[in-house]
Amino acid sequence: MVRAGKEKEKESSVAKSEKLKMKKTKDLKPLEAQLQELDTPTLSDSDSDSGSDSDSGSGSGSESDYDDFSEDDGSESEDYESLRDSETGRTDSSQDEGDVDTGDNDGLANDRSNEEQSESTDVHPGVEESDSSEDEVAPRNTIGDVPLEWYRDEKHIGYDITGKKIKKKEREDKLQSFLASADDSKNWRKINDEYNDEVVELTKEETKLIRRMLAGKAPHADFDPYAPYVDWFKWDDAKHPLSNAPEPKRRFIPSKWEHKKVVAYRRAIRKGLIKFDKPKEEPPVYLLWGDESNSTEKSGHLAYIPAPKPKLPGHEESYNPSSEYIPTQEEINSYQLMYEEDRPKFIPKSFTSMRNIPAYENAVKESFERCLDLYLCPRVRKKRINIDPESLKPKLPSRKDLRPYPTSCYLEYRGHTDAVLSVSVETSGQWIASGSMDGTVRVWEVETGRCLRVWNVDEAVRCVAWNPVRELPILAAAVGPDVFILNTGLGNEEEQERIRELINVKTTTSPDDSDNTASIASWHQDDKHGGIRLRHFKSVSSVEWHRKGDYLSTVMPADILFQHYLAIVVHQISKKLTQRIPFKLHGLPVTSVFHPTRSIFFIATKKNVRVYELVKQKLIKKLETGLREVSSIAIHPAGDNVIVGSREGKLCWFDMDLSSQPYRTLKCHPKDITSVAFHRSYPLFASCSDDCTAYVFHGTVYSDLNQNPLIVPLEILRGHKSSNGRGVMDCKFHPRQPWLFTAGADSVIKLYCH
Amino acid sequence: MGKHYRPPGKKKEGNAARYITRSQAVKHLQVNLPLFRKLCILKGVFPREPKKKVKGNHHTYYHLKDIAFLQHEPLLETFRETRVYEKKIKKAKAKKNEERAKRLETQKPNYKLDRLIRERYPKFIDALRDLDDCLTMVHLFAALPALEREKVEVKRVHNCRRLSHEWQAYISRTHKLRKVFVSVKGIYYQAEVQGQKITWLTPHALQQVLTDDIDFNVMLTYLEFNETLLAFVNCHLYHSINVKYPPILDPRLEALAADLYALSRWFAASTRAPLVDPQASSLSGSEQGQGQNKETSLEESELRLAQLQQQLPSNEPGALMRLVEDVAGEDEEDEDTKECKKLFRNMKFFLSREVPRESLLFVIPAFGGMVSWEGDGAPYDENDDDITHQIVDRPSQTRKILSRDYVQPQWIYDCLNARIILPTEGYLVGRVPPPHLSPFVDNDAEGYVPDYAETIKRLQAAAKNQLLPLPGVGREDLEDPQSLLAEGVIDRAEANEAAERKRQIMTLRKQYEDEIKIELQGASYSSAAPNQTSAEDMEVGEESLPDLQQVAEDTTSMSKVMMPRKKRGLLEAIMKGKQRKRDQVNLLKERKKKIEERQKSK
Repeated sequence: MVRAGKEKEKESSVAKSEKLKMKKTKDLKPLEAQLQELDTPTLSDSDSDSGSDSDSGSGSGSESDYDDFSEDDGSESEDYESLRDSETGRTDSSQDEGDVDTGDNDGLANDRSNEEQSESTDVHPGVEESDSSEDEVAPRNTIGDVPLEWYRDEKHIGYDITGKKIKKKEREDKLQSFLASADDSKNWRKINDEYNDEVVELTKEETKLIRRMLAGKAPHADFDPYAPYVDWFKWDDAKHPLSNAPEPKRRFIPSKWEHKKVVAYRRAIRKGLIKFDKPKEEPPVYLLWGDESNSTEKSGHLAYIPAPKPKLPGHEESYNPSSEYIPTQEEINSYQLMYEEDRPKFIPKSFTSMRNIPAYENAVKESFERCLDLYLCPRVRKKRINIDPESLKPKLPSRKDLRPYPTSCYLEYRGHTDAVLSVSVETSGQWIASGSMDGTVRVWEVETGRCLRVWNVDEAVRCVAWNPVRELPILAAAVGPDVFILNTGLGNEEEQERIRELINVKTTTSPDDSDNTASIASWHQDDKHGGIRLRHFKSVSSVEWHRKGDYLSTVMPADILFQHYLAIVVHQISKKLTQRIPFKLHGLPVTSVFHPTRSIFFIATKKNVRVYELVKQKLIKKLETGLREVSSIAIHPAGDNVIVGSREGKLCWFDMDLSSQPYRTLKCHPKDITSVAFHRSYPLFASCSDDCTAYVFHGTVYSDLNQNPLIVPLEILRGHKSSNGRGVMDCKFHPRQPWLFTAGADSVIKLYCH
Repeated sequence: MGKHYRPPGKKKEGNAARYITRSQAVKHLQVNLPLFRKLCILKGVFPREPKKKVKGNHHTYYHLKDIAFLQHEPLLETFRETRVYEKKIKKAKAKKNEERAKRLETQKPNYKLDRLIRERYPKFIDALRDLDDCLTMVHLFAALPALEREKVEVKRVHNCRRLSHEWQAYISRTHKLRKVFVSVKGIYYQAEVQGQKITWLTPHALQQVLTDDIDFNVMLTYLEFNETLLAFVNCHLYHSINVKYPPILDPRLEALAADLYALSRWFAASTRAPLVDPQASSLSGSEQGQGQNKETSLEESELRLAQLQQQLPSNEPGALMRLVEDVAGEDEEDEDTKECKKLFRNMKFFLSREVPRESLLFVIPAFGGMVSWEGDGAPYDENDDDITHQIVDRPSQTRKILSRDYVQPQWIYDCLNARIILPTEGYLVGRVPPPHLSPFVDNDAEGYVPDYAETIKRLQAAAKNQLLPLPGVGREDLEDPQSLLAEGVIDRAEANEAAERKRQIMTLRKQYEDEIKIELQGASYSSAAPNQTSAEDMEVGEESLPDLQQVAEDTTSMSKVMMPRKKRGLLEAIMKGKQRKRDQVNLLKERKKKIEERQKSK
């Protein structure tokens, strides 16, 4: 047992010493340790030496030993193996020594050996340390365990054994040291020992040691931490008990105090002071709804909304559905391309028999989700809409009752070579005029489709308009910045005479010099076409006649850079006079229209329609369309209703007596509405659009103010072809017949009849 | 001044006063969120949707009355006390005072949910209406393993199993089961109790997959309520058929996990006892609970019993018993129940080891069949001569007895969904059975009828005329619709109905076509009339003649133009829904076509 203990201690001491070595900071050893140190090497050398050493005085011995060590200093640190060897050797030798000593029968020596043995068995850290440091190199530096900072600013690091200063080494600069380290393959095992100011290279064994320690194992490879335990105590030969005293009486009789306590408890229980825990029992199940009679009382709180029941499974959820319910592999693959939320939640699968059905992987999850739905989702009682989609459609009078209206294409007027931008019908309804992109203005006979006249104006004709006065068959055409007033040559001699007189400009240009209107337009005689040429400073987009046929308003589409108060001007044919409108314009004007009966002027800007009184010269109404961009406007012949077409394909009907908001907004075209038109006498109106269709509506206006206008869509007129993304450019009704003229971008004018 | 400025002293009004958000509610009740959740689940309080959401769209709103309702709940106080105890237990455990912790655990306040159930479902029928989720959950937990870490205790799982078996036993005994559907997710059952259709899902009897993203606290709270609810419902139902609740089961059968059979035995025993000796049982103290109910309902049967006893030899109590049972049962039963009861009458089934025994033990007796299984405690064994069908689910059966059919379990389910005995040919061992179709789908409304559904329909029509279903009817006789028609098996009324419908459709279609024609003609006339004058546009008139589809499209788009925006949106939504349905049907048809083509080419 003693031996085992000693071994263990040795191991621990070895570990300690190694740690010490790693630190390279050495304590000043206590005297005894020094003694030991001084002993051991000699012991390992020879027995006789030990004897002599033990005899010699401690002081002198130590001194001599120090010398030895200083000499040893030069030789590098020893490896572990050798240390171990030497130690075992030492223990052996110490035993040997004991034997020898007893053999030598020297009393003093005997004492000494005893002493040594007791020392080695004692747990004495100092001694043990010394044990391992027998061949340890003594530190070069002798300053002891003082902080090294004390020497930081000195040129030396301490003193050697002789008391001489140890100079600090030249400090290598970082780069150099790094380069050196990079070159040196053994660099990783070099450690800078600050205490002695030297670089120490660890041996292979030392690194192994460190590795083992880092791994948490015993430092020494040979050490077996799980060695079989040897029980050194002998158990079997215990003949006598430890105590021979007789058993006391108290072990045989019941305790009086315990008895008293029991009595006290018993009384407490009887009195009910102590209660026992009753075994937990399940709450009983009984007839909860036993009497249905008194359950009729209403609970005071809100109505219970039962949760909707989960959807019942369809054929596809079957374990063995019909084969058409199972998606093909391509379809399953295509699900991967879908968005997460569009992807089907459940992919049908087929199993040939019931034993093949696996557990459903989402069973618990779906149940959990149902729970979440039940307590998290707001519940609302909603009426299930089960409406027939037909019932949603508004009740409209039958279309048959609203006849006549244009239904099908009857005539085509061909002759233009490019998109027809504008069409206009003569008041009598016998002639139509058209203006086209190909730079011609044509007059056609309605009944036959014969082209009566052609004016070649060399520029796209944006707009044409017949004079509304019957006796004055003249035509206004907007061509670039010019407006031509053309004599069509129709009518009898007398009328022709009047016309010629009317459209004769005696003095070219500048009717008034002071007014700045002069700069807006100039009047020229145009001999080539036989009419007047009104030159504007900007291209004109629309021309509109006053009902009396004397005034003519032109709109120059405004942009932001342009002074838009000049965008709309009014010309007087009889006086050859041009004047700008006397009110301030708001917004960018698109078109302008005269009221059919009164002296009211409508200006359609991009967002709104402004209604001006011409006599009083003030704004009387502003119609809020709510549209993005107004494109066209038309006035009901009675003058109280306005329709406005927009670029987003919406048509607004305004009842001016009702409100400034649209009475009805109809979303009829998917593309821009290019033009809207009212019929003069029939309750019809039409819109045409770039989607190559024209809608014909019935629009009755009642004289009773309480009755709202009746609007019924009647017909979609098709037939035009799209060209350059443009469809039908203009539409006009025949003044007397329920016929509609449409001008298409496919250079055809069509007449739709009933 | 804010947009919704309310002068000081003026009370809140409208939605702002009536609804509060969840976090406000939690603060108001002074509880934490999990506790609030638990209270809501137990009390059945749910968020409501205010017309105008005052606090914003992303909040959950509760009605203030609901919250007040929670506030006055005595359970709230109990939960607070429980929380105190839990704190104490935690403390004791932290101090390693296990004894104290254990003692505190036992002293935690208890609460009962019966009052809540009564409050939420004032009438029994209300409880039945809400039973779907309850049953599904209890059946799911009956199939779950006990999870220590999720606090799913063994006791609860056992309780769930017991409750689900009790429910099934009742349904089976009273023949209330109507439809069964074996899906990938599990087996759906639909029963009709007191006019309420109750559908529940039982998972397949396999190890369930548990994922981590499940909050078991929520589920367990639900389960707690559902268990109690189902127990009370079972109790009520058992009492309604004069059976004592809770049933006491044969421990031997219980140990063999044949609970259902044990329960059915219990039923048989407990209905026999009062009928044979009603006075004794009503006198016996143990059954006082049912005594009251029984006496009224049994008076009639007693009378009949007396009448019958004169006719029958008195030494056959068993036969008498059965007679009484039948007669007594049939007065209150509706047509459906009677039909279900007779479906498997005089048939004896035997289940092999590999078939889903629990489901079949439930289903077959529910439709009047007798069933046994392989194993201990079974009523009869495999060698019984009277067995007509053996339910087998294996690739091949080696040992066969000629007197019985070896069919796959799907046959049972298909038979009971069709309510006729289907020919067993397609379902024999080793064959791939015909598709199993959902009985919950209205094929006509869906717009697509699978082939097998039509076959079943024909068989049903045939069976109606024959009155007595013959199990051995050859499949080929019934397969051919021509022969069926020739024999005049289709019900005359039905045929008339179909003819009428067809005629209606025809007239409608004709009308529609006529209209279109008239419209077309009108268009062509109008274009033709002025044509006389013009010379150049003959071809134009023809060109502008729009086709039928165009006309139809135009009329719809024109009527759409006049619709208000709201209605237009609604119409578009309806149309979209219809289109989706149509697409689905078309997809199915297309797939079917492809499959058929492939089969032909092979």
